[in-house]
Amino acid sequence: MTESRTTVTVNALGYVGHSESSGEPFRIDRHGVTYVPTGDGGIVLNYRVGDSIFALDADHASPGVSVSHPNPDAAHSLVAQSCIGNIAQVRTGAATGALGVVLGKRGEGSRVLILFAPGVMELIRPDDQISIATEGQGLSDSDMESHIFNISSTLFNSLSFKKSGEKLFRIPVRTSFESKYVGNGIGRPMPLWDVDLQIYELPSGVSDIHIGDIVAITNLDARFNAGYRNGWISVGVVVHGSSPQPGHGPGVTIFLSGPESEFELLSDPQNHVGLTESRLLALAASLKR
Amino acid sequence: MKVTTNASRLVTQIVVGEVWPPLSDRNGFRVDANGQAFFLPGMGGVTLGVHCGDIATRLLGDHVEPGLSVRSAKESVNYALQFLTCIGNIVTVMSGPSAGKQGFVIGQHAYVLVDMPEEDMAQVTTGDQVSIRAVGQGLRLLDHDNIHIKNLSPELLEGLAGGTNSSGALDIHVARIIPPEAIGAGSGMVSEYANTDLMGTYPDLDSSFSLGLEDLRIGDVVAMIDQDHSFGRGYREGWISIGIISTGSASLFGHGPGPSTIMSGPADAFNVILDENSNIKFLADLLKVKS
Repeated sequence: MTESRTTVTVNALGYVGHSESSGEPFRIDRHGVTYVPTGDGGIVLNYRVGDSIFALDADHASPGVSVSHPNPDAAHSLVAQSCIGNIAQVRTGAATGALGVVLGKRGEGSRVLILFAPGVMELIRPDDQISIATEGQGLSDSDMESHIFNISSTLFNSLSFKKSGEKLFRIPVRTSFESKYVGNGIGRPMPLWDVDLQIYELPSGVSDIHIGDIVAITNLDARFNAGYRNGWISVGVVVHGSSPQPGHGPGVTIFLSGPESEFELLSDPQNHVGLTESRLLALAASLKR
Repeated sequence: MKVTTNASRLVTQIVVGEVWPPLSDRNGFRVDANGQAFFLPGMGGVTLGVHCGDIATRLLGDHVEPGLSVRSAKESVNYALQFLTCIGNIVTVMSGPSAGKQGFVIGQHAYVLVDMPEEDMAQVTTGDQVSIRAVGQGLRLLDHDNIHIKNLSPELLEGLAGGTNSSGALDIHVARIIPPEAIGAGSGMVSEYANTDLMGTYPDLDSSFSLGLEDLRIGDVVAMIDQDHSFGRGYREGWISIGIISTGSASLFGHGPGPSTIMSGPADAFNVILDENSNIKFLADLLKVKS
């Protein structure tokens, strides 16, 4: 049993991000071809949980809004403490009062990715304030060597990966990737980063990969910084879509990492259903105080 | 290396930088693979006692930068310094007791890293100015259009063993083969700046963390399998990137000794020859650096 009483809930404020660019509009793909990146942060309207990671010709597009904080230390803390499944509430602007839920996080620019219902998304604007009831870091299971992080205790417990009395996580996953596919994010602290999968097409035998899917990465120890370790497994949620950049690709926010003896991966490459928008938003609603 | 190039058409520019201080934050400690806190010296300053040919993980450090760690204070000037400087460029100390002494560039790591004789290096410290004869970016192998060259001075290219072989591929001598599982931090970044940290290189951790790379040496020429560093750094099956190990041990997990990239192309463009002596330590003699 995980003991949610050990975790603390802290309201932390973030600001909805703008789309940003440097003075050079182009990025360079792995073939050396220039392109103008779209969807990399800010407010992305036409991308939903359940859509394919290859649905858009975009760069790191994520459903919902990307939220950060202008003070770098506050941004790091906001990202580190925010966990998948945390409830978020809009505090300013036309969408004031609307509830959302944390889907995941992204490194580099220190961003929390937050989902809202489509009608709410139309009302949200850059710089709107969003308060996140951050909770989940510190969650642990004293029976297991694996570490649990980046996920709210309510969501983790509702996923019921482990039967009481057993020392095994049974995880439904879309598929598994070898650690060599992990690009940007490798070597970074997992409370602050996702990891990009360097894939530019679907793996053989996998019908599609959706935002919200749960995937496993083999030979990766992500308890602290993510890095190669033979016989270790890391599990996460797909939180953003593909990228043309070399070393980048669809992003996974990892929430569980441990020795492979503690895992049974229930792979369903055709029909896997991971986290859905309705499940996550219902969870958020249930957490409203 | 026996190969036809466009070296005669390359620009040589003088760029200057200064030895940058070691930096820290108020916490000091970082965490290793097992979450254990550690505090070790590493980047910046002048790091003594480690040169081309030395085992990269011999010293207790984190991101050990052999020799001088050089930057420039102005951001745009610094980017030019980092991008234009190539491995094998000659570096001359401009201030301090070692003024006039020379060394050579061994790679980039968000700093330009300079190896020079130990006795000269010992007299260099933070703030000392250096000038670099920057030449190499734009270098092409005229008979190997599918190989991208970067960060490589014409002098180093000339000194490397190998060359165009009878089947048209490029013979390249490497001390070690690096599997794609070893590629750590630096993936996804541009390949004209900093380097690629290698995992599986931790002599103090148990065998589950090992890829057998604990004995890499500073200056080793290595072949990274399934890596395309033509326009950044990323995994790409069937591609090879060639690099020079320019930094030493790292305790921060997912990091480690790192190659700066000098070549990248499809695997069949190369004929990789394992040669444990393939190391750039010959550069001091080749360049006739003034000590």
